[in-house]
Amino acid sequence: MYRYITVVILSMICTHNSSAQNVVPVIFRNVWGNTPLQLDSSLHTNQDTNISTINNLKYYVSGITLLHNSDVVFSEPSSVHLIDARMPSSCTVMLNLPKDVFYNRISFNLGIDSITNVSGAMGGDLDPTKGMYWTWQSGYINYKLEGKSNACKTRNNEFHFHLGGYSYPFASIQKIVLNLERTDSIVIIADVSTFVKQIDLANENSVMIPSEQAMKLSRLAASIFSIQK
Amino acid sequence: MKKYLLFVFGVWIMIVALKGDDETKFRIPKNWPKPVYEFNKNPLNKDKILLGRALFYDPVLSADSTISCTSCHLQYTAFTHVDHTLSHGINGRIGTRNAPALTNMAWGTLFMWDGAVNHLDMQPLAPISHPDEMGSNIDTVLFRLRRSSIYPSLFYKAFKDSAITGEHFLKAMSQFMLTIVSSNAKYDQVMRKEKGIAFTSQEANGYRLFRTYCESCHKEPLFTINDFRNNGLSVDTTLNDYGRIKITHDSKDSLCFKVPSLRNVEFSYPYMHDGRFATLQQVINHYTTSIQHSATLSPLLDKPIFLTANEKVDMVAFLLTLTDKEFLFNRAYSFPKEIFMSAPKE
Repeated sequence: MYRYITVVILSMICTHNSSAQNVVPVIFRNVWGNTPLQLDSSLHTNQDTNISTINNLKYYVSGITLLHNSDVVFSEPSSVHLIDARMPSSCTVMLNLPKDVFYNRISFNLGIDSITNVSGAMGGDLDPTKGMYWTWQSGYINYKLEGKSNACKTRNNEFHFHLGGYSYPFASIQKIVLNLERTDSIVIIADVSTFVKQIDLANENSVMIPSEQAMKLSRLAASIFSIQK
Repeated sequence: MKKYLLFVFGVWIMIVALKGDDETKFRIPKNWPKPVYEFNKNPLNKDKILLGRALFYDPVLSADSTISCTSCHLQYTAFTHVDHTLSHGINGRIGTRNAPALTNMAWGTLFMWDGAVNHLDMQPLAPISHPDEMGSNIDTVLFRLRRSSIYPSLFYKAFKDSAITGEHFLKAMSQFMLTIVSSNAKYDQVMRKEKGIAFTSQEANGYRLFRTYCESCHKEPLFTINDFRNNGLSVDTTLNDYGRIKITHDSKDSLCFKVPSLRNVEFSYPYMHDGRFATLQQVINHYTTSIQHSATLSPLLDKPIFLTANEKVDMVAFLLTLTDKEFLFNRAYSFPKEIFMSAPKE
């Protein structure tokens, strides 16, 4: 009940101060090369003749921070967002900034930090019904990519990458820092084709536990983010 | 000014009234350590406890509605499954480990024999999803609960929210599990110096031996250190279970399993992660005669333990003082008839 009252009071304060706020959208654009990522449809990599399909792409973005050079000027409170390529609304995050905040870089984590991972049941995007929580061993899946490729000699040519793990030596969360070109809206490109192209799908098509391989692929997944020019 | 005071008073009354939100206080037994569970994140409440208890007893959690938590965690046998070395789930499928006895989970740090689960809230997800246990998944479970004739109102009553979420489901399950506390065995009564209660000379001698040889892992009053140890069992080559190393990938965890609590050990047979020992005698004989030496063996077991036949009997006599009848037959933990009987079947 306290929480309810707090929320009411806070929302009153927030509405009251809305004139001093600056809402900046952070848009995660999942693409395949130069085109928006189409789930469930055939995609080519220009590197070879393989045809791929992406059926599922979900990842956690947490700890969104804005920086001016190396100084933190804004940290989003309770910042956890599940980006789901199937749900366009999930791909835009609204930042409520105080007025007069100047920044030229954005930083965020790809994945969920270790403290959150050991904090028990949580709601919202962290609810374990989101398909991003392991059951046989506790922990969030940071990045999930599933699809098919005729390079995979697996059942139905499927590949599954469930990248996660929060404790040493397989703490797979990745910090990403990008320089911004403009600051009224922030568009972050995630080119899935660069991820898929760099994997030898014939030999590497199923990673579903915290491991050295998951660490390597997590670093690769983090490298596909860039700022739209 | 008067108006202002009146306003403050009104607010205070409101806060006091709301605070009465029927919170249930978790009672820490005398001289016990502080619980590990963070109750402030999931404050106990009788409606949530009752909801968790209903879920614990409901086979709706399993794929074919045949297995509930209690199938393998039966109250009368210390919330474990007796007579089966390895526990079984839907369609008679046999798992690879012996269901552990459930007790004093508020003090638990990592759960499962290998510590795969890092928080009590997350524990139910494992058996629900395991193909050899309940073979379902949380989405299916919640879908069924939303359609059921009893759960929407129970969730509403507990959380003031009719949406049945994963978070609320898991928190309710935790609430019931947290209430499962065994702290009234003869041992406890002796420790509390209750009137007319004393160890027999056999039990007292067993306790002395226990403190010499067992205490460092089965630490009082929880009778576990909630950590992982290699207790010198030979590897069962039909299972090839190396325990905690599967989770940590650290060679020093090879053959390490969770040290179980010994509370109600009289009823929690068979013993060990694979249920290989049927009796306490066999367990004691393992420690005295068949320790397998390996790199990760608990150093405390490196030196041989010698016990005479009489000493072994005394040790067992002491272990039986850990039986808590009040716990085993506590109505607050048993099948919540009032919920399942009053509601029409879906």
